[in-house]
Amino acid sequence: MMRGNSGAARVATGKGVPFCKSPMLSVKLPIGRSRFVLFVLFVAFAGLIGRALWLQGISNDFLKKKGESRFAHTINMPATRGKITDRSGQVLASSVPVKGIWAAPEDVLQNSKEKLRELAKLLSMSEMDLLKKLDSDRNLVYLKRQVEPEITEKIAALKIEGIEMRREYKRFYPQGEVMAHVVGFTNAEDVGQEAMELAQQKTLVGSAGSRRVIKDRLGHIVEDIAAVREPLDGKDLVLSVDSKLQYIATMQLKEAVEKFKAKAGAVVVLDVRTGEVLALANYPTYNPNNRSVLSGQQLRNRVMTDTFEPGSTLKPFPVALALDTKRVTPNSLIQTAPGRMTIGPATISDSHPHGVLSISQVIQKSSNIGTAKLALQMPAQEMWELFTNSGFGQPPKFGFPGAVAGRVRPYKKWRPIEQATMSYGHGISVSLIQLARSYMIFARDGEIIPLSFQKVIEPPQGQPVISAKTAREIRAMLESVVSPEGTAPKAQVPGYRVGGKTGTAYKVVGNGYDKRKYIGSFVGIAPMSDPRIIVAVMIDEPTGLFHYGGDVAAPTFSAVTANALRSLNVPPDSTITNIIIPTDGVQESM
Amino acid sequence: MINKLNAFLTFALVLSALALVKTQYEGRRLFIELERTRAASRQLDIEWAQLQLDQSTLGKHERIEGVARRELNMLALTPERTQYLSMEAK
Repeated sequence: MMRGNSGAARVATGKGVPFCKSPMLSVKLPIGRSRFVLFVLFVAFAGLIGRALWLQGISNDFLKKKGESRFAHTINMPATRGKITDRSGQVLASSVPVKGIWAAPEDVLQNSKEKLRELAKLLSMSEMDLLKKLDSDRNLVYLKRQVEPEITEKIAALKIEGIEMRREYKRFYPQGEVMAHVVGFTNAEDVGQEAMELAQQKTLVGSAGSRRVIKDRLGHIVEDIAAVREPLDGKDLVLSVDSKLQYIATMQLKEAVEKFKAKAGAVVVLDVRTGEVLALANYPTYNPNNRSVLSGQQLRNRVMTDTFEPGSTLKPFPVALALDTKRVTPNSLIQTAPGRMTIGPATISDSHPHGVLSISQVIQKSSNIGTAKLALQMPAQEMWELFTNSGFGQPPKFGFPGAVAGRVRPYKKWRPIEQATMSYGHGISVSLIQLARSYMIFARDGEIIPLSFQKVIEPPQGQPVISAKTAREIRAMLESVVSPEGTAPKAQVPGYRVGGKTGTAYKVVGNGYDKRKYIGSFVGIAPMSDPRIIVAVMIDEPTGLFHYGGDVAAPTFSAVTANALRSLNVPPDSTITNIIIPTDGVQESM
Repeated sequence: MINKLNAFLTFALVLSALALVKTQYEGRRLFIELERTRAASRQLDIEWAQLQLDQSTLGKHERIEGVARRELNMLALTPERTQYLSMEAK
């Protein structure tokens, strides 16, 4: 019985009750309750539809943006920095795309030891250094910048997790140290740091562009969705420099600096007709491609940024003034004996007493007394005006960073002794490029023109400073300086008539002159029959046997000029090809 | 009548839709081709810059002089050994 009972109960629960007989159905609920449920469902659907309408139709910006960010991308299009070339189109500086190697430390450290060792080797750093760089809390650290394509390809082939490569540019300077002081260099961010790279930064750099695009699943660009902002590449810069002349100047200068055991030296070559700077060399120099060890001495551009007392190279100026104002003629005589002269508290002297000299001989023999006597005959204002019109003490306008103005004191403060010493280039400071440019007034028949570091298409208009007649007379005197009777026979150039003026001055150290330190210089014009170039040479602190401008700077002038005239295809204007250099030349006065 | 017009319009609509798909596809294909050509042009630009650099490096006067002197045993020319010809002399 017990068993039967329990069996029946189990059947009832097991089989259940058929749905139509369910007691639940017979329960009568109040009609309001079901209406209420229906209403709630209706409200819920209405809410959903309303929300959908809101998102789809009325306030859809946010979602649109979100959607777009899944497939639309902004691509930056960097501009390439302009090339720098010399006047004949030879590339002096050019940017090549390279890669910057970045790493996400956490991911990279997951890789096998061998891979990391391989990576360190490719980046040419030790494993220790690599691990040190990776030991960082940042998401991304850079391992090496400006890595060249061959190496980045090998790194990519290693397939290391967490390595990222970013596009960068590296600037190459194929001419290396020869052009360093003209071209300059850029830093890792492609911003000009020195010389023309700095001066022309704005035109060289260009402006980056960008575009909005849609990319497909594989990362291909499918469509532009906004107007493309094209990148504007930097403009190429054509310099006035002639790379052949520049090379010649650099080599000759290097030789001279080493031969005369000098501290430094500089050469500048100007085109007389256009005012273009054809060469500008400094020694010591540096390699702009490898600037890991770089000293101030190497960086220094002595042509542009250093001023010095020019010494006798300035003598033609007071003489030109005296000739121009018809106070004297080239044949006027002047007594320079006994080679000493006392003006106020000071005494000036010639290195050798010369006796009676003509004005031409004053220049030829470089007599201090002669020039001083001439200068003292003239008002200080006139001298000051000539110096100023020739560009001395004037802020230079050739768009070269760091170019200095030099110093010419106001004439009202000149004492007679100062006027006398200034006539032979003491108590006045100039840069080598100013000195070279000032000789334009002799080379160009009395005119001076602005200089340019960029190729000149139309020759500039000259400013008259002295008369053409005076300029020609001074040129004849300058030519006599390089004769065996002058101070610079070593400046002669076989096959060409040249002329110039030597200069030797003590260096100014603190408040006075250091009588053991010299600057020897030479500024010359060639060829004399129809001047084409001006070459200025400066040798700083020669410590060997020689220190006069006629000995240390004149040979460099001769070598540079000979090569320059030949490479400029200037026909020879002299039949003299054998040069006689007297063993006991005339020493100039200091 | 209305039915016929409807059928015609439906047909025209389907045609136009297909044409749109085709044009879109064609547009994208051409665009990708353009992209590829642009990339090639950029690559050529880069190569050109690289070649110019190489030319400048190899054409360095220092190197030319070295090769001329050492390997070819050449000498710099001097005015004594130069015969100048002028046009008037003829």
